[in-house]
Amino acid sequence: MNSFDKKRKEAQKKWDLLKASKIPLIYLGTASCGRAAGAMEVLESVGKTLKENQLEAKIVQVGCIGPCYLEPLMDVTLPGRPRISYANVNPEKAKKIIESYLIQGDPQVKMAVGHFGDDGDEFTNGIPRFFDLPMLKPQVRVVLRNCGFIDPEEIDHYLAHDGYVGLMNALGKGPEEVISEVKEAGLRGRGGAGFPTYKKWEICRSSPAEKKYMICNADEGDPGAFMNRSLIEGDPHAVLEGMLIAAYAIGASHGYIYIRAEYPLAIARLKKALSQMKEYGFLGKNIQNSGFDFDITIKEGAGAFVCGEETALIASIEGKRGMPKSRPPFPAVSGLHGMPTIINNVETLGTLPNILRNGASWYKQFGTQGNYGTKTFSLVGKIRRSGLIEVPLGMTLRKIIFDIGGGSNKPFKAVQTGGPSGGCLSEEFLDTPIDYESLTAAGSIMGSGGLIVMDEDTCVVDVARYFLDFTQKESCGKCSPCRVGTRHMVEILERITKGQSQAEDLSKLESLGETIKRGSLCGLGQTAPNPVLTTLRYFRPEYLMHVKEKHCAAAVCRELIEYRVVPEKCTGCQRCVSVCPTGAITGPRAEPHNLDPSKCIKCRACYEICRFDAIAGDAIIIRSKGRSADEQTK
Amino acid sequence: MSKPNEMITINIDNQILEVQKGLTILQVAEQNNIYIPSLCAHKDLTPFGGCRMCIVEVEGMRGLPTACTTPVEEGMIIRTHTAQVQAERMEILQLILSEHTSSCLICDEKEECKKYMGTIRKAGVTTGCRYCPNDGQCELQDVVEKMGVKEINYPIYYRNLRVEKEDPFYDRDYNLCILCGRCIRMCQEIRTANTLAFKQRGRSTVIGPAYDRTHLDAGCEFCGACVSVCPTGALSEKVKKWDGKPDGEVVTTCAFCGVGCQVRLLIKGDKVIGSLAEDDPVVNHGQLCVKGRFAVAETVNHYSRLKKPYRQEGGRRVEMSWEEAIQQAAEKLSDCPPQHFGMLISPNCTNEDLYVAQKFVRAAVGSNHIDTSAGLFYGSGFNAYLDLMRKGIPLSDLRKASVILVIGLDVRFGRSVVGVELREAIKRKAKVITINPDPHSLALIADRWFQPKPGTEFDILESLLKLIAEKKTTTSQLKSKRKPQVDTEELSEVAGMLKKASSPVILVGSDLLRYDRSVEILETIGKLAQAVGAGILPLPAQNNLFGSILMGTYPELLPGGFSSTDKERLDDLSKRRGKDLSNFSSGWNAEALSLGTKLKVLYLIGEFPTSLRPPCDFLIFQNLYPPEPGYEADLVLPAAAFTEVDGTFINGEGRIQRVRKAVNPPGEALPDWEILSRIARKMGTKGFDFSSVSQIHEEIASLVKGFGEFENTKRIAGSLICEGKLTVPQTMLQESKKADKKFPFLLHTLIAEHAYRGLPLSTWVEGLEALFPEGKIKINPEDAQKFGISDGDQVVVTSDRFEKVWVARILSEQSPGTLQVTLRQSESIGSNPFPVRIRKKDV
Repeated sequence: MNSFDKKRKEAQKKWDLLKASKIPLIYLGTASCGRAAGAMEVLESVGKTLKENQLEAKIVQVGCIGPCYLEPLMDVTLPGRPRISYANVNPEKAKKIIESYLIQGDPQVKMAVGHFGDDGDEFTNGIPRFFDLPMLKPQVRVVLRNCGFIDPEEIDHYLAHDGYVGLMNALGKGPEEVISEVKEAGLRGRGGAGFPTYKKWEICRSSPAEKKYMICNADEGDPGAFMNRSLIEGDPHAVLEGMLIAAYAIGASHGYIYIRAEYPLAIARLKKALSQMKEYGFLGKNIQNSGFDFDITIKEGAGAFVCGEETALIASIEGKRGMPKSRPPFPAVSGLHGMPTIINNVETLGTLPNILRNGASWYKQFGTQGNYGTKTFSLVGKIRRSGLIEVPLGMTLRKIIFDIGGGSNKPFKAVQTGGPSGGCLSEEFLDTPIDYESLTAAGSIMGSGGLIVMDEDTCVVDVARYFLDFTQKESCGKCSPCRVGTRHMVEILERITKGQSQAEDLSKLESLGETIKRGSLCGLGQTAPNPVLTTLRYFRPEYLMHVKEKHCAAAVCRELIEYRVVPEKCTGCQRCVSVCPTGAITGPRAEPHNLDPSKCIKCRACYEICRFDAIAGDAIIIRSKGRSADEQTK
Repeated sequence: MSKPNEMITINIDNQILEVQKGLTILQVAEQNNIYIPSLCAHKDLTPFGGCRMCIVEVEGMRGLPTACTTPVEEGMIIRTHTAQVQAERMEILQLILSEHTSSCLICDEKEECKKYMGTIRKAGVTTGCRYCPNDGQCELQDVVEKMGVKEINYPIYYRNLRVEKEDPFYDRDYNLCILCGRCIRMCQEIRTANTLAFKQRGRSTVIGPAYDRTHLDAGCEFCGACVSVCPTGALSEKVKKWDGKPDGEVVTTCAFCGVGCQVRLLIKGDKVIGSLAEDDPVVNHGQLCVKGRFAVAETVNHYSRLKKPYRQEGGRRVEMSWEEAIQQAAEKLSDCPPQHFGMLISPNCTNEDLYVAQKFVRAAVGSNHIDTSAGLFYGSGFNAYLDLMRKGIPLSDLRKASVILVIGLDVRFGRSVVGVELREAIKRKAKVITINPDPHSLALIADRWFQPKPGTEFDILESLLKLIAEKKTTTSQLKSKRKPQVDTEELSEVAGMLKKASSPVILVGSDLLRYDRSVEILETIGKLAQAVGAGILPLPAQNNLFGSILMGTYPELLPGGFSSTDKERLDDLSKRRGKDLSNFSSGWNAEALSLGTKLKVLYLIGEFPTSLRPPCDFLIFQNLYPPEPGYEADLVLPAAAFTEVDGTFINGEGRIQRVRKAVNPPGEALPDWEILSRIARKMGTKGFDFSSVSQIHEEIASLVKGFGEFENTKRIAGSLICEGKLTVPQTMLQESKKADKKFPFLLHTLIAEHAYRGLPLSTWVEGLEALFPEGKIKINPEDAQKFGISDGDQVVVTSDRFEKVWVARILSEQSPGTLQVTLRQSESIGSNPFPVRIRKKDV
């Protein structure tokens, strides 16, 4: 038996031992998303409760399993019983669950959200299977297969789940065959553009050089996107194994992980994983006796969005300012320090071990012709079930938004794909299969996988302004169309949202947008106008309403809205009077209040307090000034 | 892999062209007179692709690639002026203009304005072309003109940035900046000084040093290369800001140090308004230092320039005609016994001036009392220094060296073109080792910096020599002996490096001169070079030191560098001049002036050897500027600057270089040779009927080996003969000195190298004061604290021979227990090091 098999066997034993634990296991999702929702407080409460009750249990901190709206998630497994998941746990709830389940054996069925056992298990009566939940059922977990199940800080957990088998297969095949396997699988870059992964590799492999580099692009900068962070936090070894496979295929001897410094937990987990890899012989000289040498350095980015662009990323690693360069030469020919360099996205790399482990034909069962495999998305915005999902390519937007996401509370308006450089698609595109070509044809992009859902409370003009403002601020300033052009576009949009627009503004936005797309140096500029151009295409009436009638139907654009008290509803509780910073609201107690629009600064304080704290609940409304009250529903 | 000169065929605007592979589309277009507008591209810099003006259509390529970044390929079909391309360019140019104050660029009355100057511009507008210092020399203006922009369809964003004026020499108005990045690429790629960078992002993007430091604090060398490549008025020279477009240019040799950079003098009317680097392929390769770039115009145009001869009568200036002045000088000199005469001439003068001066002294006055101030500058090591100079290699050998040992040389401001070469060498992995007792810019980038304590400079060199000589050196061997204050292991490593190096080079600066052990130091450097087969290149501070030796402006030397005791030569010269030269008294030199030997007539040409008037009955003072207070010259003769004369210099490498007259001297000022010739003729001396510089040059050529035709410039280092040993200053030969209880500090003095004709350039060029802190004593912070001294305090420095007051400059790089100060030549206090004590001056 070679050393790898030995290690794997030992790891398996360790894992089995954990599974067959004689004491209860408590799983806590403590990735960044869980922590933001309060997982660390829950963890503290769990520890305290166990101590108070002198209970023995093992706590396993796992990564994110996906459904953000259920965070923090706490799972409990009693010996011999299936794992039961509890959602939206807070410290009190955790205490109650532990005391009730661990001491009295009552799993608190009402509080449980799902279980991981078989159907018809006596212990889980009344609890659905976790993966039968509507959010999980349509999903296919390939890249995310280990997230939420293994302890990301234990290499043995990964090994016990077929970890590094893909690498061992690759090392057995030889670089050319690895490339052809990936070619056969039809894997396309998951970073956004969808360029065939094997093609980039082939160019790099055939470029003669004394040194080659493999870079993992973990500079996830899109607002609202967190796929890469979750994957690294939940299963770092999957990404690192993918890096080894890619490096072996192209003949690289050194690798970099370019990751945002804003991801401290992901960085910590990567560092831990790297030291474990060294210990287990997956890094350094002569990896697993294959003659393949490879080492990895973590490079923390300072947070510039543009550093996700390949050439800017390379400049940043070289210690220069992150600014894109013209191509050719492409990085695959002349990249880091002038050497052939491959940059692959986190998800692309996370996919590789699965392809090498199960084969190209297995991988091709997912997805559609030309768009094989799965893709992770962060499903956010005005959606009931937000979270990280993984679906086969080719699934329709409708299925993702309504079946998985549960739709929005108010009528659906648009979905933004591909982050700030993507486009906003309207309802008519809901049956568009989600694949590279279809999204491009619709004027949007796949991007790295952000899906932002908007309902009728969202003003698309404001959204377009927001995204363009983001890219404009993140423009590196190198090329004039991007630096100056986006600035003019933002100012025109600001004008529109303020009701100061001029007649030719819309056509100016379009022509300027086209100039920026054609004239810009890098992907950032070439895609920056997308949110504006697509909304102009699909939501033109909304723009026209802003321009001609100074009317914002969503009641978002500050200058176009006003606050009103509905006298019939107002109970005169004076809560709004107390929070109004300008004294715009007046009125004696128990009588309908009066709101003076000339003093109102639209700070929203009265609206919020009326909705959540006041007796009436909805006596204060926000409405567009552009149309009469009758025409408005809000 | 492509061969270097492979030719390929492309189609550009339906022309089939054979072009060299590897060129960009823009380069090919320029070579074939196809105009593609561009702003960020520059011939010396790497392609940037930022302004996007040079977009073209290339069949088969996605989108509109930029011509400046796209290399040509076999069979490429390029269209440079399609309607779409032009339309996009127009849009992009408008976008660029919308970030630039540009109303005048597109003003309706632009044409009329040029013809009649009749518009509002005359009233002084706050924006627009007329407000811009670059008007008429602006590349953006040219592109706007060629593209025919009539209006800007966007609002103008005036950025309202503060105009940055806090640094010397150039102002920065980033409101005019189009972010083409040329200055940054120049600073990073060519100069490798890395002072400038892009800062911020998006609309806030701006250029400057990191962390908002001033350029001075950020390590800027003030080479001005950024200003030269700026296509707009964003970077502008303070002095010539409003001078407008020059109407002529003359290429000449800079007179401010021994490197001998080729400069392009910019002329407007009868003034030199500025100087730019000439793209000279031999010496400076299109680069200059702060002196050549910014100091020339200010020095030669200073208001204090002498315009008329005058005599001093009871402290009053009495102006006189040249006729009278020549008459008076001739009378005084004819009456002066040769042994009571003395002349000092600056080694900043041309060969022709120097030659005529020595001929004047020897033939007209019949004396041998001619010297320069170089002996005072080089001190006891002068002869040893000249020995090294004779072995000098060309500067271009630096490009072949794998190891470069730099001894006593700072390259931040002066000689920064050598700094560029050193950084280039570091870039291509050559090792640079610097030995310097004082903190200097090279220390930051060199592989090793040895910082000997004052007084141990010789020891470190000697140890290095021993380590090289010994086959195997262990550090224990060295420990038993007196060792320098440096890590011997490191020294041993350097010895190994030098031994293994392919064509190593030793550069010698002026910071290890005027030491007690100067001779030994310089001789050891020579031995070091010999031991490892290194080329050696001393970089003299005086631009024409080489020339002064060859012209024989020393008591011990005749033209050609022959000994003045050489009977045969003397006879030959006597015959040529019709005057008996065989009985020369010797034993006089510049040092005698400070020792108080009284002369009847002292003739100073571009020299200030002492801080007060040297003892003499009659002082003839010939220079660009009036004598310093305390000199009381009897006769003042206005001379021409190097920008106003023809002639030749010989730089430190021994290269004869042309000096070309750009403008006439101010007022009635005359070239030195002409003044001397006129006096000689008045004295009735034959052989001074020179009517042009080339006549003098011909005469030199007949006496000095290697001197050929006037226009012919070449290296003649090998033919530097210096037969006579020069008498070195005796005051500088003293016992080796050490710090003791009474005088616990060791002081190291430097002589201001940025001098021209006797005075530091900062006398006339205000900006240089900040860069060359004369009279500021560098103190380690801990030492300063002990004595309660803070930055800017006056410090009294006392030795057993002097007490001086200097201003404190606290510097963490200064070694504890040591002090350093830079002085004027005339304030020199002897040879280093000086044991001293310090105290804060009571207020």
